[in-house]
Amino acid sequence: MKKLIIIIASLLVAVSAFGQNAKELYNKYSDLKGVSAVYVSPAMFRMIGKLPDMDMEAENGEKVNLTPIVKNLSGFYLLDVDDATVADKLFAEVRRMIDGKKYELLFEAKDNGEVTRLFTNGNGKTVSSIILTTKDGDEFTFMSLEGNMDREQLENILAESAK
Amino acid sequence: MKRIQDIEKLTAADWDRIGADESIPVPEDFKVRLPRRRPVAIWSIAASVAVVAGIGLTALLRTPEPEDTFTDPYLAYAAIEQAFGRMGDAVSRGAELIEQKETEFNKVTYWK
Repeated sequence: MKKLIIIIASLLVAVSAFGQNAKELYNKYSDLKGVSAVYVSPAMFRMIGKLPDMDMEAENGEKVNLTPIVKNLSGFYLLDVDDATVADKLFAEVRRMIDGKKYELLFEAKDNGEVTRLFTNGNGKTVSSIILTTKDGDEFTFMSLEGNMDREQLENILAESAK
Repeated sequence: MKRIQDIEKLTAADWDRIGADESIPVPEDFKVRLPRRRPVAIWSIAASVAVVAGIGLTALLRTPEPEDTFTDPYLAYAAIEQAFGRMGDAVSRGAELIEQKETEFNKVTYWK
């Protein structure tokens, strides 16, 4: 009986540890005061996938084709927080999630107190999740894109859109 | 001393008769060693309960699907485009910072 309780307790811990994800954070914070939120569901991504070729204009005016990446996306979460208390809480939870799920830091920029970080989760070939966080004083932005993205394509698009 | 073949030929009635015969001496160091019940059954019950509990907990803790912000795929796409734009801006800002630092470094090394 004692062993059974230990097994169930371990299961509980394991389930709650794996439970923390972008969707959970979105559900927790999206309705709070001082939070702007955007969610795009897998069903909407399937509809977006049927749109004709999707181009984005880069900073230098050139067109960047997003179709190959967008077709493989399955979820988008955005939380823009301008309430200091909520921002701190969300920041701490995002950090825990990033550490727990072993995200890789792709990029970090610190400019006049604003810290922007880009994380990816996946393997050498594919990216299953990309997270962008921006902390600027009392404001915090959390953005997460989920899917099955080709790493090379994603990095090319980021490089192209940064030109 | 009976041989194994003789023992095998004994009937159930013979066994009862021999068992009831108190004149047959029992050696003092005689111990009946019954095979221990293996805890396989208990473990399989425990494992089944754990699996059912795990499935139940997963279903219970499953995060509900949030409501879509957009109903128009073009608007949703615009939000995704903006998201990539933000990521691009961040990378571009990083590149600018590197360039800036390089210029400062070059100035410093030039004047030294």
